[in-house]
Amino acid sequence: MSKTRTQQYKQDVNEALNTSRLNDALHRFGDAYLEARQRAFAELDFEQLRTDIAEMKDRVLTSRASLREQFIREARAAGATVFLAADAEEANRYITDLAKANCVRKVVKSKSMVSEEIHLNKALENAGVQAVETDLGEWIIQLANQRPSHMVMPAIHMFRDQVAELFSAETGKTESDDIKHLVDVARRQLRREYLDADMGISGANFAIADSGTFGLVTNEGNARLVTTLPKIHVALIGMEKLVPTMDDALKIIQVLPRNATGQAITSYVTWIRGAVPCGDVNKELHIVLLDNGREKLAESKTCKDALRCVRCGACANVCPVYQSVGGHVFGHTYIGAIGIILTAFYDGLDKAAELVKACIGCRACVSVCPSKIDLEEIILQLRQQVQEEEGMGLGKSLLFRKVMRNRRLFHALLRSGAKLQKPVTGGSRTIRHLPLFFSSLTEWRSLPALAPEPLRDLMPKQQQKIGRQRYRVALFGGCSSDFIYPELGLDLLKVLNHFGVEVYFPEKQNCCGIPALYSGDRETAQEMARQNVAALLEDQPDYVLTTCPTCTMSLQRDSVELLAGEPQFHAQAQQLASITYDVSRFLHDVLQVDISQLKTLPGDDGDPLKVTYHDSCHLKRGAGVWQQPRQLLQNSGHEVVEMSHADRCCGFGGSYSFTGHPDIANAILADKLNDIKHSGVQCVAMDCPGCMMQIGGGLDHAGSPVRTAHTITLLAETLE
Amino acid sequence: MKSRNRINLFQQAAESAGAVVYHCQDVNDAAAYIAEHAGGALLYAPNDSLEQLGFSPALSRSEVSLLEMTSRLDAADAVAGLTGSNYGLAETGTVVIDSTAELVRLASTLPERHFVVLDPQAILLGQQEAGQALRDLQHQQPADYLSYITGPSRTADIERVLTIGVHGPCELYILLLSAVAQPEKGVSS
Ligand code: SF4
Ligand code: SF4
Repeated sequence: MSKTRTQQYKQDVNEALNTSRLNDALHRFGDAYLEARQRAFAELDFEQLRTDIAEMKDRVLTSRASLREQFIREARAAGATVFLAADAEEANRYITDLAKANCVRKVVKSKSMVSEEIHLNKALENAGVQAVETDLGEWIIQLANQRPSHMVMPAIHMFRDQVAELFSAETGKTESDDIKHLVDVARRQLRREYLDADMGISGANFAIADSGTFGLVTNEGNARLVTTLPKIHVALIGMEKLVPTMDDALKIIQVLPRNATGQAITSYVTWIRGAVPCGDVNKELHIVLLDNGREKLAESKTCKDALRCVRCGACANVCPVYQSVGGHVFGHTYIGAIGIILTAFYDGLDKAAELVKACIGCRACVSVCPSKIDLEEIILQLRQQVQEEEGMGLGKSLLFRKVMRNRRLFHALLRSGAKLQKPVTGGSRTIRHLPLFFSSLTEWRSLPALAPEPLRDLMPKQQQKIGRQRYRVALFGGCSSDFIYPELGLDLLKVLNHFGVEVYFPEKQNCCGIPALYSGDRETAQEMARQNVAALLEDQPDYVLTTCPTCTMSLQRDSVELLAGEPQFHAQAQQLASITYDVSRFLHDVLQVDISQLKTLPGDDGDPLKVTYHDSCHLKRGAGVWQQPRQLLQNSGHEVVEMSHADRCCGFGGSYSFTGHPDIANAILADKLNDIKHSGVQCVAMDCPGCMMQIGGGLDHAGSPVRTAHTITLLAETLE
Repeated sequence: MKSRNRINLFQQAAESAGAVVYHCQDVNDAAAYIAEHAGGALLYAPNDSLEQLGFSPALSRSEVSLLEMTSRLDAADAVAGLTGSNYGLAETGTVVIDSTAELVRLASTLPERHFVVLDPQAILLGQQEAGQALRDLQHQQPADYLSYITGPSRTADIERVLTIGVHGPCELYILLLSAVAQPEKGVSS
């Protein structure tokens, strides 16, 4: 069953990738968003604000039961009726019963993602009640009979001509596709609906416990009409919207509009407490507080942080996968990174299974989340759950369990691979075409061949010339540096020797375990972590260095977490984490080398080599390193030119670009190549062998003259 | 921050959010300004402070035509609305209006133009100060409906093109007139 589902999903992905108008729009939106957001936060300390919000939301989580009681008590005292709905069905039943009891024929709604979540419109329709969406975007997709593709801008996937067509069908006249005109049509058409409706339904952005108030953050003004004109108002509120006080809500207001649309504040913020006057009587106010999986989420040790979400939509805005395929494919009811997680809890893990695999793990979402949710980590946990439930396929599971856990076997296979590949490579270091059913792998990028001799064999043969020795460090090669780019290790050796550091290669090191972990095989990852902790600490190095940020992240973060339950290994893992550095950071922060002693080789024209720097996801957003390599390159006499979107993912993602979603990976790579081309450089530098494979392969395939190089290689060259 | 600076900051922020800010000399000046810009029937949502300032007589003396209402839904015929306000927030150019009285809500949601009278002395700095202000406004009545309004109604739902005036007022006029707000009393209708 999961196989058919996967095939269906890949088909959806392909269709979306081929909708170039949508992709263009989402890319342009992503760019405009980042600019607007930057301006909006110019005078604020985003890190501090999001730390505060995360802390506040965590307090809410712990005391949610009492806050809920307090909210209900206060809201009731102000004249509201409060109903606790355990799931979608209960919420829908309550609202449809209420409508029937009051002979409601028409309902006007302002935007509510919760109502999408529980499919309220369908339930109302089945009860013979007409529901009219009044948010412009929601109305458009209601007319089109679709679902939102973005949490803040539900109709972002539609274009003016399509909207004109829908509106024309509605008014019975030909409406022009002028946007101002279309907005006027909506104003006119919907105005009547507010006046006719017997019930208004809204969502809420906050439910304030100490006063029973709820808050609505909006721009269009429809929510104010929906909550004013009809005699009955139903506010549908997810349990996670609880905050203790008005001040807590105001804190969120400082961040929410800025992070959602780059506005300092929305046109309207509305605070409603209790049943306010409506004509000669008081309004009938019903608050439906919805659980529908939220309590389960609160109980989940690994995923509960997702309840901090304030629904700003930013995690989708910056996501390269979302930008490539849109929210209908990369989301369910909720969209983007948070959408994946909520889908797993509100709709079931099977509904989220394809989505968790479509995330490339670039952590762009994590860097903009105003609630400081480690979305990527949670998605990873869910991926492991999916694999546990569905298995990962025999081939992969054999590779991880039987081969990679057995280091000798794994390395023996890689060595024979190096010999066996001759017929395809013809002895060259790149593979441009693979035969038969592998051919699709080289359709859009060439692949590097396995090196004739791995780093582990080359290292012991090196002469180390060290003047005054400062440190002795262990090199963690990582598979790609060990077997594909052994020259990275040799370059590192050369540069470090120059600065008085001895380097050795612990023989018993194995793969860092990330491929297994990211494919959901936690046990294999744990075994690798044990092997590496022992191998790397055995000879008591001062530091452990890597040329691969994914390995760095694995040693710094994942090993510690993976071995947390094993006292004999945990302390060692922590020690290893504390002495592990990627080479650029080590040179810059620890050695504080005076790199200007290195002499730069000029480019072909005699001027300094023009280099642009590509930030690897795991280095910038995993290890927080991005200034150091730029500084090193600059100080060593290179001219560093910034490209656009330097820190956007290149689309590699390990097995993601081979077997997971090569088509999305290709689309993301195309964006990167475009940015490199426009920077007008001779060389693109980076600190990751994975990115080198992807970007180098893409440039080679496109016949581009731009060279791909690791920072350490460029530094080593200046020592010639 | 000096009150003059606060007023300037408020004006700048409100204008950049698309509002028009007008400094009134007195209530007659305000009424004349409204008459000039209303463009049709005005729905006046009076409160104690507006009445003390003499808005009712000033409006009747002016050229403006006041909306005659027989039922609440007649409010839909108003072209312009006039309300008071309780606070301004300088950093965002926001007016804070106790909108519990239904007439205030009708006058500030349905018409195309919304005129808001704000006492420049009631301009606070930003969200930090707003918390106390909102708490002061709440609980004066059994239930309440408080509004922040910043600029006119807007949408970017079609191709992300910013368009003004989708459901709420297309034009927001903030009339600065001293000694209007009586936050401690709130708005009573
Ligand atoms: S990690 Fe990257 S690909 Fe995954 S959801 Fe976040 S932004 Fe999207
Ligand atoms: S997860 Fe974070 S970034 Fe995504 S919508 Fe929620 S608050 Fe915004």
